[in-house]
Amino acid sequence: MPVMPRRKRKQFYVRRKVCRFCVDAALAIDYKDVNTLRQFVTERGKIIPRRISGNCARHQRRVTRAIKQARLLSLIAYVPLPAS
Amino acid sequence: MRRYETVWVVNGDLPDEEVQAVNDKFSRIISAQGGVLAGLEDWGRRKLAYKIKGAIRGYYMLADFAGSSEAVKELERNFRIDDRIIRYLTTKKSDQVDVEALQAEVAAKALAAAPVPEVAPVSEAAPAPEPEAPPEPAAPVEEAAPPAQEE
Repeated sequence: MPVMPRRKRKQFYVRRKVCRFCVDAALAIDYKDVNTLRQFVTERGKIIPRRISGNCARHQRRVTRAIKQARLLSLIAYVPLPAS
Repeated sequence: MRRYETVWVVNGDLPDEEVQAVNDKFSRIISAQGGVLAGLEDWGRRKLAYKIKGAIRGYYMLADFAGSSEAVKELERNFRIDDRIIRYLTTKKSDQVDVEALQAEVAAKALAAAPVPEVAPVSEAAPAPEPEAPPEPAAPVEEAAPPAQEE
């Protein structure tokens, strides 16, 4: 009989996320580009953390800034209205 | 001179003429402060993501210009005074601007835009090839410009 492994190690498949803005230099971060920014906020309007979005620190800072600028101009909501 | 980009939002519940008057007023302020207006983008009426001063729609305008920090200060002072303006945001795009190059670019753009109404009456009277020529050399200049603005 084959020897059973003593401890079954939990397998984590950590797919290394790469920063989309580093990969594609053509992708600009701009507070006017609402559709791109939408990808970095939750449906609750919260900014998605770097841990999840995979952005590098530099680009996350820029995304964050752009989102806040867009919020100020009412291009995206601080708190989205309940779906009606 | 620095290159700035300003977005302002006019209360969208106002009638068109008034919105137009407000937009003219602020573009004039930029010029009056010695600014060089490189482009004025009209986004039209958009639904606001949330209500501002009771308004649910806003009329968005984007001005791309070169000017001094004093010009921006004056512009923003006026934004704050005028209560038809519900939001504004100015961002700096570059610290140094070659004013003459920008003025030339603006002039080229105006030239490219102007012949269009002129061509029609001329082409009726005279053969077309000549009036059609000027807009074409002007176009590449316009196309070459946007990448520089983004930086």
